[in-house]
Amino acid sequence: MEIQLSLSPTADGLTVTLSGELDSLSAPKLYDQLSQAIKDHPNIKKISFECRNLSYISSAGAGILLLSLDNFGHRGIDFELRNVRPEVYNILDLLGLTKVMSVSNG
Amino acid sequence: MDKYILDFSATPDNLPIIRHFVQEHLAPYISDPIRLNQLTVATEELCANSIVHGNHSDPSQKLRLELCIDKKTLHIYLYDPAPPYALHKYPMPPQLLRKDTNRPGGLGIYLIRQLMDKITVRRRGQSSVYHLVKNLT
Repeated sequence: MEIQLSLSPTADGLTVTLSGELDSLSAPKLYDQLSQAIKDHPNIKKISFECRNLSYISSAGAGILLLSLDNFGHRGIDFELRNVRPEVYNILDLLGLTKVMSVSNG
Repeated sequence: MDKYILDFSATPDNLPIIRHFVQEHLAPYISDPIRLNQLTVATEELCANSIVHGNHSDPSQKLRLELCIDKKTLHIYLYDPAPPYALHKYPMPPQLLRKDTNRPGGLGIYLIRQLMDKITVRRRGQSSVYHLVKNLT
């Protein structure tokens, strides 16, 4: 299943709802849309990824999250992954992402 | 031993097909969804490395994936026309951002090494043969 993205501005940030599979095919789409959203909303302080319907992540998907954190985190933007499924959490944890950003189980 | 074969060309467009092939054929043997996902991820990472780095996403290059499974052990074989890549090149644990490129690097190989019990690669005829083993007991 291809990734489905929906971006919603909030009071001080952005909620990114992810559905489907985040892999090397879909990861660039996420990065492009995130970059554009941050350009459009330069004062955001937090990006929350709603991951309830994210069914799969590969190293390429995790890599895009790391790259986003590195490129946008220094602007003072906090990253948060919410409602992550156990299968996806397991992969993020193995890669060490749970140590560098807030990741909560679904 | 049961055996399942998938022939595919070296294009990233085939990664979802590879994932679903693995999930479909391993699901009857592995009830734990986390474990099934781990094996799916390890197989996809192996194939993705061969497709993207070994064969430069050239769809004229043909690869074969074999899953051989019994009650105790899963063997994953990937037959790849490209020269073998260094499965042990990246350090453990991985650099989240590589110092040379400032981009994530080695995450896929790290996952393969974390998730599988044994990994070998050798050249046989016109193919590099990657062999991943997982004890299922």
